[in-house]
Order: sequence, then structure tokens, then C-alpha cells
Amino acid sequence: MNKFIIWIFLIIVILVSPFIGAVDLHLSDIFDASNLANSIFFDIRLPRVLFAFFAGAILAVSGLLFQTLFRNALMTPYTLGISSGAVLGAGIAIKLGISTLIFGIFGISFFGFLGSLLTLVLLIYLARFLKNSHQESLLLLGIALSLFYTSLLMVIFYLGSAVQNDMLLRFTMGSLSIIGWEYPIFISVVAFLLILIIYMYRFELQLLSISDEGAKLRGVDTKRVTLILLAFSSFCVGILVSISGPVGFVGLVVPHIVAKIYPQSVNRRILKTAVFGGGFLLFCDTLTRAVSTQSELPIGIITALIGGPFFIYLIISRSKK
Amino acid sequence: MIEIKKLTCKYQNEVILQDIDLDIDTHLSIIGSNGSGKSTFAKALCGLIDFGGEISIDSKNINSLRHIERAKLISYIPAKLEIYDSHVSVYEFVLLSRFAYKRDLFDYTQEDKEKTLKNIEFVGLAHLKEHTVGSLSSGEQQLCLIASALTQESKIIIFDEPTANLDPQNTKRVASIVKELKNSRQIILITHDLHLACYMDNKNIFIQKRSVKKFGRELFDNEVLKGLFGVEFNSLAVVYE
Repeated sequence: MNKFIIWIFLIIVILVSPFIGAVDLHLSDIFDASNLANSIFFDIRLPRVLFAFFAGAILAVSGLLFQTLFRNALMTPYTLGISSGAVLGAGIAIKLGISTLIFGIFGISFFGFLGSLLTLVLLIYLARFLKNSHQESLLLLGIALSLFYTSLLMVIFYLGSAVQNDMLLRFTMGSLSIIGWEYPIFISVVAFLLILIIYMYRFELQLLSISDEGAKLRGVDTKRVTLILLAFSSFCVGILVSISGPVGFVGLVVPHIVAKIYPQSVNRRILKTAVFGGGFLLFCDTLTRAVSTQSELPIGIITALIGGPFFIYLIISRSKK
Repeated sequence: MIEIKKLTCKYQNEVILQDIDLDIDTHLSIIGSNGSGKSTFAKALCGLIDFGGEISIDSKNINSLRHIERAKLISYIPAKLEIYDSHVSVYEFVLLSRFAYKRDLFDYTQEDKEKTLKNIEFVGLAHLKEHTVGSLSSGEQQLCLIASALTQESKIIIFDEPTANLDPQNTKRVASIVKELKNSRQIILITHDLHLACYMDNKNIFIQKRSVKKFGRELFDNEVLKGLFGVEFNSLAVVYE
């Protein structure tokens, strides 16, 4: 019954979302090509809905992947500093004025990706020095890296021009307000690729969700598979974050909710997590447009307002175990 | 046939096992006090930890084997099931042991599924196959692990303290299953439960102070045991039969 209500709610969010925003749209005007509502709906709202949905899917699925591979409920690309790495990378690109294409990818996105990948490499390198209980220490390393990146970002702010700083400030708060179909299509392809690669490795993932040792004993090359999956999802998150800015907590909240609703093995939760992640971010993004009429609230603020208390709840409920 | 040459294992810079040479050609019980290095020895055999020296199974060096090839040769059953995602069902858990045989990208074969069901039935968990592994008792989890190792169809199965966390009833059940498996697999049993070791009637090795001593049935002589453990023993009753 609960599941039914949640699915209905998801569908309603998807259907209603494009109609909510600064301008009220009526169904009758949308298909009238001469009406402004037509271009608002098809060039602004619809691409944005698609973008939010697939962005949410990427964030949620990456969260599920990180939690499973590290076997720790608090691990996500966001809590490990991989998102912050992407922000710093994008910040450097903005400061250097790089906006051309690099290897066919937008310059800022390319730098964002580099930032997240470098963070992953740094984490793997630093993790080798950790002895016991290294899961918690790794989390602390991620948080330390995030703080360090924030101070580097402050340096960029300090050195930046007003125009650059405005761009950077908006970026760090996270926003899904895009115009046109390029980004939504690009991000949906990224989301499909991410889900495809996880699907290909779903049996390995299921084994890794038992334990590293258990997976190894049953024939999984655990180091290789873990690295491939972490690197690829960091790549996807890096690309996303370099477009949208950091959107926290989706990867933390959604996989837990899905696991609560569907107490199934991880390989059966991949798609559900993607859809719920998409729905959750779309809901948050709709809120940003519904709450204020003056200007939109940055999406990162809404997800953090929901995710922050949830994070605290998770830490407390874990300590009770 | 397992050949071990100059095996040396360290744990946090402390030498646990040193220069061990041993051939294992039949069922074996590994006995020793807590912390003597029994589990370290077993984990080295499975290639789970780094070690010095050389271990080969059927003349193949285990460190140069691919993971799936190693899984077909040797499996290891820990004393306690440790599982992060406890939502996995008993059926799914056991089926995963067919990973080393999987060729199809999309699913396990019908044969894999049949073997899984057969082994779940063999250990007596058929009525729990849709239950999650996390919801099982320690005894049932041990049986689930045994079903999993059977389904993996490795030539050698290592049992690490299989009865350590079990009540007498489950201990008896697990012990008799392990003994029955001697007919079809090579069994390596790690235990400090002398009753269990005596019941299994394998060749024995005693691990102490970084080295191993070989014994046959004479290990269970009261005087020999007193010499090894330093405490008095009364005659070991074979309690599992």
C-alpha cells in the first residue's frame, strides 16, 4: 500500500512539475505554437524536468554504489569529497576562463571531471596509509578533503573578478536551471551509461555487498571491479556536478529510503534507486520554483535542508546498532 | 593436493607463521590455541592475505591463478557470516556461489539454479530459502554458508571453526554434515574443539609458535594433549555419534 502511494506521488510529481514556476502554464496554451507558454514549456520546463530526473538518478545510483562497495551507509561521492573535487575543478576552469571544448567535452565539465577523478585517486592513495577501522577514517579523509577544497575555492574567490565570482557563487549553490535540450540529453546519456555499466556488473556488485572477502572467495577480482565501478560513477558525478554544481545528500537519502521500502538484494534495487532518485530531485527542484516567486532557491539548499537532518538521523541510528 | 613451501605470514609486522613446509593430500584438521595462526594459515591457502613462500594446489601457484579458477579449487567457510547487505535471500546468497561458472551476462543458468536448490535442501534450509540471510539464526547461517560452499563445487573446502557459535543441537548437525562431505570433497577443518577434531578422524596438524607438528590419531592421547595445551584432559568422548 505504501509502495503504491509513493509510486502515485512520483508520477504526479513528474506530471505536475513542468507546470510549476514563475509563469503559470495552462494545458491549452502549451500546444499553441504562437503562445509564449509553448516555448516556456518545451524549451525551459521540459528540458529541466528531464535534466533534474536524470541528475537525481545519477546521484542516487552513485550513492548506492559507494555505500555498497565501501559497505558503509554514510559513503557517497558527496560525503567523500568527490563532488567538492568537481566543484574545485570547475572553479579553476572558470577562473582560467576555459570555456572551449576539450576532447569534445565542455571545458568546465572536463575540469570538473578531472577534479572528481583526482579526488578519487587521492582517496585511494591516502587509504593505503590507514590501518584499522579504515572505513570511518576514509570518511573523515573525505570530509577533510572537502574542507581543504573549500579553502582553495575561497582563494579562487579572492583572486576572481566580479563576473567570475558571480558565476562561481551560483555554481557552488547548485542549480538545475538550464535552457535547451543539450544538457538534458547529455546527462540522460550519462545516466543510461552509468546504469548500464552497473547492470553489467550487478552480480559482482551483489557479491561485493556481502563482503570483500566473500566476493573474492567466490571468484570476483574485487580490486578491479571496485575500481572500475568507483571510477566510472565518480566520472559521471563529476560531469554532472560540473554542470549543476554540487547537489548534496541525494545519494545519501534515496538509497536508504529505497532499501527501506524494498528490502531486497542490491542488484534488484539499482533501477528503483535510479527512478526514486530522479523523482526525489525533481520534487526538490519543483519546490525551488514553487516556494519563491521572486527568484528560485538554489537546489543544493533544498536537498541539504532535507538531507542534513537525515544524515544526523543515520549517524545516530548506526551508533545504536 | 596442496603443496606449501616456506610459508611465512605476518600480521601487523608480527610473524605468525614461519617457514612452513607441508603437503596436504587428504582431509586435515588444523588444531591450535586461540591466536596461534590457524585462520591466518587458512586465509593464506585461499589467497586472501599476502604471504611469503609458495602455495600450490594441483601444481598451480595460487597467486598466479585467476580469481574464478581459484574459486573452483578452494572455498573457505568463516566461523561467522559477515554480511553488509542483509537483504540478500538464502536462495540468492547460495546462487551467488555459481559466479565462477557464470558465462551468461544476463543470468545464472538453469543448472546453476537447480544445484542451488539441491544444496539448500541438503542442508535442510528449503523452508527458509526466500528468507533474508540477515534474519537467520547463527546455526542456520552456518548451514547457509555450507550450502554456498557446496554449490561453489570447489575441490577443497576449508571450515574455520564451523561449530564455534552453535548450540549443541546445531553443532551435532553441522558436524555430521562436515563428516559426510569427506566422501565427496577434500575437507580442511580448523578448530580448537578437540571433540570435533576427534570425531572427524582426519590427519591432524597442531599449530604452535609459528610452526606446525603433524599427528595422526595419537594426538587425542591424554598425555600428548597435556604436552600440547598444558592442561589435564580426561578421555575425549566422541560425542557426535
